[in-house]
Amino acid sequence: MKDKILSFLKEYTLEIIISLIAVTLLILNPQKAYLGIKNAFFTYLNLLLVMVSVAFLAGFISEVIPKEMIKKILGKESGIKGILIGAILGTLMVGPAYVFYPFFKEMISKGARVSVIATTIGAWAIKVPWIPFAIALLGLKYVLLLNFLVFIYAIISGLIVEYFVNLK
Amino acid sequence: MQNLIMGLVLFVFTLSLYLFYFRKDKSKLSKTFKKSIKMFIQNSIRIFAIFVIIGLLEKFLSKEAVGNFLLKFSGLKGIILGDLVGAIMMGPIASGYPIAKYLFEHGAEVCVVSAFLLSWVMIGTISIPLEYKDLGKRFTITRNLLAFFSIIVLALIMEVLL
Repeated sequence: MKDKILSFLKEYTLEIIISLIAVTLLILNPQKAYLGIKNAFFTYLNLLLVMVSVAFLAGFISEVIPKEMIKKILGKESGIKGILIGAILGTLMVGPAYVFYPFFKEMISKGARVSVIATTIGAWAIKVPWIPFAIALLGLKYVLLLNFLVFIYAIISGLIVEYFVNLK
Repeated sequence: MQNLIMGLVLFVFTLSLYLFYFRKDKSKLSKTFKKSIKMFIQNSIRIFAIFVIIGLLEKFLSKEAVGNFLLKFSGLKGIILGDLVGAIMMGPIASGYPIAKYLFEHGAEVCVVSAFLLSWVMIGTISIPLEYKDLGKRFTITRNLLAFFSIIVLALIMEVLL
């Protein structure tokens, strides 16, 4: 039992610290802190379906999908095609990237190239559904140029991250 | 709204995958289910904690507070501070654009605003522990450091081109 508690504390240190911060703020400034935590609940509910799907997709990939299949589509041999798939997928996805990290982890352990995953995360910075809103506030030229740079950066950064991850 | 649609699309996709596959072969079903549920609970705790921090940041740091702080700086110092503040700020970028507009209206340089916006979407300080756990030390350190320094270059490119 003691071991179990200890391993729980170790596993969730950060989450425990965050809870303590939240409780402290609730005491110091109940009104603002309450609104913030309420927002967190709404965001959670908003993303609940995404999170359920991510967990079940990751489970499916880890238990069912053969390694060769992932390797072929997103592995080393996929070349520029794999990287482009990552870049386009990252561009089109919405919601926070970190919700998908467990899924990315499964993909890498099943043979997806590190650069493909890093490029996907890089391109995640492009928020397609928000582009019209951004243009309305900041102008067409500014928004398009910014997102174009992010797209190019995503592809280059994927290769650099892969180089350092694989460095012996 | 977008997240709900995205969730629905992903959910239907996942469900059809399960229905299609496990109709033929039930042998791995319970193992896959157990693993997925365990993952869901773990992710929920971790990600909810991040949402709490985002919610608190949103309430305690107002648009004007962030904007007025960044307006004090320009040039390379402004870029680096925009980069740092953007890295701390998280949550939907929809709340970042109004800050950017506020900055532009008050005469901030293109490079400072760009560094702030780029860093907001590319670096998430609060999700770094999660990235570290799932994708490893080297991946996390390289990706975030690279992003931090590249944002400075990208911000300068924006300044030159606009």
